[in-house]
Amino acid sequence: MTTPADTAALSPEAAATLRHDLRTPLNHVVGYCEMLLEDAADPALAPRRAALEQALAAGRDALTLINTSLPGTGRVVPLADLAALRESLRAPQQRILSAVTTLLASPDADDGFAADLRRIRNSAEGLGQGLATRGPRPEAPGADAAGPATHTAPEAGGAAAARILVVDDGAENRDLLARRLAREGYAVAVAEDGARALARVAREPFDLVLLDVMMPELDGFAVLERLKGDPATRDIPVIMISALDDVASVVRCIEHGAEDYLPKPFDPVLLRARITASLEKKRLRDTEVEYLRQVSRVIEAASAVEAGRYTAGGLSDLARRADALGRLARVFDGMATEVRAREERLHRQVESLRQEIEVARRAGAGATVADHSRLPLGTTFAGRYRVDDVVGSGAMGTVYRAHDRELDETIALKALRPEFVNDAALLERFKTEIRLARRITHPNVVRTHDFGECDGIYYLTMEYVEGITVQKLIDTRGHLGVASTVAVARQLAQALDVAHGHGVIHRDLKPPNLLLDDAGLLKVMDFGVARLAERSATITEAGLVVGTPAYMAPEQLLGEAVDARSDLYAVGAVLYECLTGRLPFQASTAVSLIAKLLKDEPVEPLGLTAEVPPALGALVLRLLAKRPEDRVQTAAELGRLLNELG
Amino acid sequence: MARILLVEDNEMNRDMLSRRLTRRGHTVTIAVDGRQGMELARAGGYDLILMDMSLPEVDGWEATRLLRADPAVPRVPIIALTAHAMAGDREKAIAAGCDDYDTKPIELDRLLGKIATLLGNPA
Repeated sequence: MTTPADTAALSPEAAATLRHDLRTPLNHVVGYCEMLLEDAADPALAPRRAALEQALAAGRDALTLINTSLPGTGRVVPLADLAALRESLRAPQQRILSAVTTLLASPDADDGFAADLRRIRNSAEGLGQGLATRGPRPEAPGADAAGPATHTAPEAGGAAAARILVVDDGAENRDLLARRLAREGYAVAVAEDGARALARVAREPFDLVLLDVMMPELDGFAVLERLKGDPATRDIPVIMISALDDVASVVRCIEHGAEDYLPKPFDPVLLRARITASLEKKRLRDTEVEYLRQVSRVIEAASAVEAGRYTAGGLSDLARRADALGRLARVFDGMATEVRAREERLHRQVESLRQEIEVARRAGAGATVADHSRLPLGTTFAGRYRVDDVVGSGAMGTVYRAHDRELDETIALKALRPEFVNDAALLERFKTEIRLARRITHPNVVRTHDFGECDGIYYLTMEYVEGITVQKLIDTRGHLGVASTVAVARQLAQALDVAHGHGVIHRDLKPPNLLLDDAGLLKVMDFGVARLAERSATITEAGLVVGTPAYMAPEQLLGEAVDARSDLYAVGAVLYECLTGRLPFQASTAVSLIAKLLKDEPVEPLGLTAEVPPALGALVLRLLAKRPEDRVQTAAELGRLLNELG
Repeated sequence: MARILLVEDNEMNRDMLSRRLTRRGHTVTIAVDGRQGMELARAGGYDLILMDMSLPEVDGWEATRLLRADPAVPRVPIIALTAHAMAGDREKAIAAGCDDYDTKPIELDRLLGKIATLLGNPA
């Protein structure tokens, strides 16, 4: 009987691959033998040399055999030649194995040497596996006994053998088909009727089902219908085999979702071609499904990032892919890691700030505020606010904690000193400014509620914040840590970004205006309030200087145009003080302070505290530039620069 | 002695060749695939690259071509290593930008001769 294997041949491409697969283990044998021979130059190791030379010579012989049967010229190789090659390789293979066995048994084989010998042995044993699956095998069982260890091997290099289920009620047909397919290197299972076939498919994964049409009870059409109706099995390709060689059967099979149809008695070459084609289609489909699955993982990861659940490196297996999806995963993972790192950094900074606040509050507890109160505690002011306590006092007036009876809410009430409100034009400008400031709604800005007058006292009501000022924090702690300072800076930048967006310039940013609650949340107070003090902030009325000129930008001190960048100068001064515990410029009198502020350059913060990172020090100095155009230009830009600091 | 970058995915080939070259006094750095090979080559610091041609991710042909196309990569000799020994491979390797070509199994003395020649100190 002539089998297709006898007449078939290996394509030039398949021959080249086979040549490579056979030569690789031999190259290892030869290379390791040569290397071990170089190690065995000592005459005392002569027996070792002899055995290694035997293995080396056998390896070279085997290479010569392969080069002769499979020359690298890209020609078609008859499968019959492969059978002959397989036979001829056995002798050199045995010579290698016996030499290695001898060497391994010798008492002077140390661990490293033995490990190398085992590598040689594994390579020699692996030799011929390619032949075992590609070439025809001897029909007689047991003929392989002397050969290398064989296994059912893959059609296409490397992957596990495709699993095929043969379903046929005829024992003879079934066995013939199963044997033939096993010889081709497939992993074959059989089922003798439809019910068993369905049970088997439900239990194990298959790459292909060969299904006889004519079977008792559950026929092939019924099995096909169930396989294709079940989402778990519908992707397994099915090739129908039947003696019913009529058009109606073919149509019915295709309609029910069979991949292909083969009439009995089947032509083996056709059978092989169709199996290969179906498996390839399945492989492509599996690849596609897998690809889509991986794409959905990236999408899920994106949702996870949004929800704050993403673990960095969660796509690392995907990121190793060489295709576009791999690149996407790499970029994504990098971005997510960066976001995560930034969040953690932020968290650390706020946590550090929170701890400093905690320490300061404990240390400063009981510090009393000088009472310049003009509003008696416990009384109701403006028919609405019960004055509960004095919480602060400054150049512009006194701040009370009060209870808004109308809204049943605790608020802060600031009663302004009369000298600030005796100029009608200035008062109008102030009202405009307060109207603007009321529009700012941001977690980092103390909300302004109302402005009013009662019994000649002008007052502002604001959100009440239980907390301590940055001023107090600096006073208690000496200076703040780098992380805490950056936490203050970030929040300050956010507050200013929003305020400047509403056209509101603060004009009087300084540590006493910055409140911190227990959680480390910064609240900027008195947006727009400084408008009232503008005229006072001059050198001529030194006693009435609001706040201290130390935080004022040169252009503001000189009465020139003020813009967002003037606030950024003040941020620089605040941060400088946070980091070092001192102001950028210090002097004993206001006049000499202003002179310094206009002319001198501040001392590097780094020079004052060794722990300040150079990039942060440089950023602070940039904020303190004399000319507005030399500073960081916007609060948003400041936020970005702070983020980049890491 | 030379600083050699060995780009080879096969663990045994890598082990063998790196040990043999090291024993001859060379310093050997290993890359296990084409991508890693390119990264290391870009970083520089090697006198010569031994490049296996069948590599996962980016194969040796492509890796060589990309390295040669990148003016920022230091121009050091590349010797292609292939197990195929197919007709035309040598021309293909030279066309991809390799300076020489050797086939597996590696004959160490032959390879060392090629390395020495390329590095300008004939053995």
